[in-house]
This record gives sequence, structure tokens and C-alpha cells, in this order.
Amino acid sequence: MSRTTPTIEQQQSKRGSDYVYFERTAAGMSDDAVPRAKTAQAKLEHFYTVSVQAAVERNQRRVELERKLQADVMMTEERKQRQLAQLGRRESTFLRLRRTKLGLDDFRTVKVIGKGAFGEVRLVQKIDTGKIYAMKTLQKSEMLKKEQLAHVRAERDVLAESNSAWVVQLFYSFQDSSYLYLIMEFLPGGDLMSMLIKYDTFSEDVTRFYMAECVLAIEAVHNLGFIHRDIKPDNILIDKDGHIKLSDFGLSTGFHKQHDSSYYQRLMDSANGVVSPTSAAQAGRNSVMVNAIHLTMSKQETIATWKANRRKLAYSTVGTPDYIAPEIFLQQGYGKECDWWSLGAIMFECLVGYPPFCSPTTHETYVKILDWRQHLIFPEDVHLSRESEDMIRRLMTSADERLPVEKIKVHPFFDGVDWNTIRDIEAPFVPHLRSITDTSYFPTEDLENVPEQPAGADTTGAKDLAFLGYTFKRFQVTSHAF
Amino acid sequence: QQHGEQREKPLYLCSPFVEAALVKGNFKTIVVQPKYVDLTEWVAVNIFDFYQNINLFYGVVAEFCTLHSCPTMSAGANLDYTWIDSSRRQVKLPAPTYIDYVMTWVQNLLDDDNVFPTKAGRDFPTNFAQTVRHVYRQLLRIFAHIYHAHYHQILHLRSEPHFNSLFAHYLSFGAQYELFDIKDVKGTPTALVGIGDLWEKWKEMGILEQQ
Ligand SMILES: Nc1ncnc2c1ncn2[C@@H]1O[C@H](COP(=O)(O)OP(=O)(O)OP(=O)(O)O)[C@@H](O)[C@H]1O
Repeated sequence: MSRTTPTIEQQQSKRGSDYVYFERTAAGMSDDAVPRAKTAQAKLEHFYTVSVQAAVERNQRRVELERKLQADVMMTEERKQRQLAQLGRRESTFLRLRRTKLGLDDFRTVKVIGKGAFGEVRLVQKIDTGKIYAMKTLQKSEMLKKEQLAHVRAERDVLAESNSAWVVQLFYSFQDSSYLYLIMEFLPGGDLMSMLIKYDTFSEDVTRFYMAECVLAIEAVHNLGFIHRDIKPDNILIDKDGHIKLSDFGLSTGFHKQHDSSYYQRLMDSANGVVSPTSAAQAGRNSVMVNAIHLTMSKQETIATWKANRRKLAYSTVGTPDYIAPEIFLQQGYGKECDWWSLGAIMFECLVGYPPFCSPTTHETYVKILDWRQHLIFPEDVHLSRESEDMIRRLMTSADERLPVEKIKVHPFFDGVDWNTIRDIEAPFVPHLRSITDTSYFPTEDLENVPEQPAGADTTGAKDLAFLGYTFKRFQVTSHAF
Repeated sequence: QQHGEQREKPLYLCSPFVEAALVKGNFKTIVVQPKYVDLTEWVAVNIFDFYQNINLFYGVVAEFCTLHSCPTMSAGANLDYTWIDSSRRQVKLPAPTYIDYVMTWVQNLLDDDNVFPTKAGRDFPTNFAQTVRHVYRQLLRIFAHIYHAHYHQILHLRSEPHFNSLFAHYLSFGAQYELFDIKDVKGTPTALVGIGDLWEKWKEMGILEQQ
């Protein structure tokens, strides 16, 4: 046995006779040994932190219910016992979920309901419980920076804990070698993009409602320590009561081509007339095309084309840059203000019918955003109140002049908004739903060529722990489906 | 004992290592079955977590646990655990092989929905309690081997507060649900388990409850 004899010095005088000095060294160990030990330590620390916290919370839930039942003099003893047993069952189910590994075959697709840059969104049913969820598929190979996956998971962990009414809840995630799957709550009301396609514009009152809810949602995201970076109508989802939630973030952002700094650099260069040798041929072709479109299209036609292509744009990997703040392109760093710019662009679209920089090509959109002072134009044929225009201008301005959230909330445009109760009041459009699997608010006809079942990787049967590490613990006190 | 003529006190029994702990306080808080919660479900998730955590820490010392360094599954000066092979013979295996067998066996059980059900509505098998006892005692042997053969490496890697707490939690859990017999921890007079003394010492120190 090759055991290195440790250097042991005994100091019997001061300490007990058992006291041992042990000289620690990682000499002779592999390079991985120390990092591996550190990881194990961190994981175990995390495990115990979460275990203790879980015990405390479980206890609280029990004591709360016991107290509530005790105070209820009307309820029969039998019903009280049943309620306590029910709590026990829920807690037990939750424990079981911790051991549960999930894979694609645990879900049945009901319908394809959406498409994003990296994959599709499906309405699915968990086979053993019958519960309904939205499943987002993300193709790993499409994500440019794979090494960000770990980082993303960490972000997701925090998000999963958030439990904010303004953020779509994530229940499980799992992956195979090609895809990452996110199982989220299903919001049956569709998204704001579909609403804008349907209604063209909103009245100022309706716009105020959606903007006010967005303000609170963005604020909630910021309070969680995130910058969304990609707020656009496609990411503003409508729940069964017509209120909004922001769809998952921290995942897609960062992977997007538009967020790749070298991509920006090329863009900036081409905007400034610098042609990099590698992209010379391509840039040449592009510019010809740009001119061609420019010459033949009127403003009206541009808008019409943009609107007609809106969904396709949403499905493309490049995505639509229409709502992205200019500083994001400048690579000089940006803060949470960028989300308020996006909100301004969305508000413009709600009232005017198209976003401020919409152009025949995304390239032109970029150029206009960078030169927003010249291109932020309020059309004369659309009447906007003074407050509305001022609100938009105070959101769509240079980052240092953009209003912070406290000032946004007291802007005259939001006069009369009760920020504390808005989520409880009746929404302007409440979806009419015939069942828990009603998909009439989604453009399902447009998605008919998308396969019902996600492709999945070749490694069938491979399953992942349902929860994101130990952190993701979603305890549902009430059923989340209707 | 490996070093010295005399039987030296193992490091895990020496100060300050014996009292090193990540988790302070009474393990009962996280060991006791929560009120109204199904006992089997509670035991199952705990075994699941223990398995993951043991796996994690065996991973830390695995590079030192080789066919060469550990030709037997040792857990005391005169104790080598044996594995029952397919023809029911007791065979001595190198520790890494033995541990690999145990971990694979347990992983397969945990993945088997007939043994550790995860699907909604599916019940635990009637012999679940026996299975858990069996799993518990095999995992206990892995702890016993690491304490006996690899504790100095745990020390070099500054992991003893963590490993101690994991093990104390494990013992506390096992005692609560009667998953082991005294002889599993202490061995027999002719084949003492090293961790037997640690168990006694921790009870003496109040880290573990007196039975
Ligand atoms: N939880 C959900 N419930 C209902 N519909 C959803 C849900 N999540 C997404 N959708 C639908 O799917 C569409 C695409 O989803 P999403 O915008 O999240 O994908 P994405 O475009 O890849 O995201 P991004 O590019 O912003 O990361 C949404 O516009 C919406 O219509």
C-alpha cells in the first residue's frame, strides 16, 4: 500500500493528547484532484443549505395549515384530517419529483404552438399526470457559445426560485445530446406579437394597461438581478386571464447572433463603409439588394411587407432587431436601461402599428437604430397624445437620459394606473378558452410543417434529473393548471 | 496499521479532525420524517441523495483507490469485505472493483421504476424496506473503506469537515430508521471496523445521539 506517511507532530502540552498536526499538500495528486474536491465541497454545502431550508419551509407549510384548520370552527374534524393528509401527499409527491428523471417520452405533444430562434414550443401533456405544459426545445448546436450552457443553468436556477407572477414559471428541464428541453407553465393567451398582428394598433388605454404590466414585469426581472436584453412582443405572453408574463430569458440571449460581438463589429464596419476582406463578397451582394429594395418600396409598402413577414422574422435565427437598444450594438457595455428602450419601441408599435425602425432588411434596421436620432419619427397620420409621445421619447433616448423605473411609473402617461393592483383588475382582452388545451390563440396553421414530436437525440432512453441541480425546487401549493 | 510498529490512532479519531464538521447542530432536523409525509417516500429520497453525495466524495478519492493501493476492500486492520459472486461464493475484490460493483448496483436500483418508483401513482414494492437496508449497508462499507484507507487524502484535500458531516448524517439517518445492525458499524472482535470507534466517539461527543 503506497500510503504517504503524513508528517505528524504532537503538541501534547497545550492541546489534548489527541491533537495532531497534519501537513496538507496536494503534491503527487492529479491536477484535477483539488478542483474536484472543491466542487464536491461546494455541492455538499449547497445540498445542506437547501436541505435545511427545505425542512424549514416544509415545516412552515404544515404549521400554517394546522393553524388555519384549528381556527376554523365550522369545518368537521374529518375534513381537517383529510386536508392534512392531502398536504402530506403533496409533500410526498414533491419528494418523489426530486428523484424523477425526465425524458422526451414522458410527454405527449398536443400541438406545436410556437417557434423561436433555436427550436419550437409545443403544448404537451405529461403522460403520467395528465398535466399540461409548454415545452420549449433548444437545439444545442444552434447556440453559438456552448460554454455558456453552464452559465445559463446557473441563471435558470435563480430564475426557477423566483416565483414571480411576472415571469413564466419553469418546472423542469432536461437535455439529451442535441437538445435542451424546458418544461414551463403554458400560457394559453398567446403573445403580444400575435395580438398586434390581429389588432394592428391598440387604443391608448389598452396600451397603458400592457405597458404598465410590462413595467412591473421588467422591474421584477431587474430585481432578480437580470437584464432581459431581448424584450419584444414575442416574449410577452398572455395568461388565461389576459395578464402578461415575460417568457423565459437568460437562455436565448447571449446565444443570439445579434449578441455576438464580432457580428456587431462586422455590422458597425459595414455601416461605416469598412469592408473586411472575409465578408467583402457577401457585403457587396447585400448592399446591392438593399438598394434594390429601397428604390422600389414606398414607406407604406415597407410597413406592409414588414407586417406580412413579422412571424417569419420571429422564427428566423437572426431574430428581429427592431426592439434592441443602440448601446447594445456599441459594445461599450450596457445596463438594465436597455430594457426600457425596448419597452419604448414596443409602445410605439402598439400605438402606431409598426416599430419605429422597421425596414425592408434587418441590416437597415440596425443602421437606423444606431442613428436613432435621425430615424425616430412619429408619423403624421397617426394621432398620439402628448403624454404618449413624451413617454416613448423618454424611453427611446440615450441610455444616460432614459427614465429609471421610479420616474416611469409617475410619468403622466401612466396617470391613473394603480401599480399595486393592476394584476388583479380585469384585462382588456381576456382569452375565451374552451379547454385547458385550447390553442386558438396560437398560429398553429403556420406551424404545420414543424414535426409534432421533437426529433430528440439518437440516445433514446437517456434521461436527465428533472430538476436543475439541487436548486430548482418548485413546490406547488395549488395546482398550476387552471 | 500501515505506519509505525505500534497501533497508532487513526487520524479520523484525532483532534482536530474528529470534530471537524460542515453541519453543526442536531441532525434530527433533517433526519426525522416530516409529519404527514409518506415514510417510504422520505426514506427513498434520502437514500437517493446519500447515493449522489457518496458518489461525489468517492469521486474525490477515486484516483488514490487503485488495484495497487487497495487490493482488497479493507475497512479495518483485520477486515476485508467480501463480495458474493454469481455462484454465491465469497470473493475478495480490489476496493475499486468492489465499490464500482456497489455503485453500479445501486444506480441501477435507483433507475428502476419497479424498485424506486417515480411515475405518478406507482407504489413502492413490498420488499422495499429490505432493499433499502441492503443498499444502506453496502454504502456504509464504502464509507468504512474511505475512512480506513483514504482519510489522509481527504485531509490533504481539506475535505474532512464535509466528509465527516456526510457520514454523521448517514449514521444518524441509519440509526433513525434502523437500517444497520451494531455489527455493521463495529464489526466483530476479530475483525473490527475502523469507523466503529468513530461512531462511539461521535456519540460520546454528542455529534450523534446516544442510542
Ligand atoms: N410558456 C408558454 N406558453 C405559451 N406559449 C409560449 C410559451 N413560451 C413560448 N410560447 C410561444 O412560443 C413563441 C416562441 O417562444 P419564445 O419567444 O420563448 O422562443 P424564442 O423566440 O426562441 O425566444 P427567444 O428567441 O426570445 O429566446 C412565443 O412567441 C409564444 O407564442
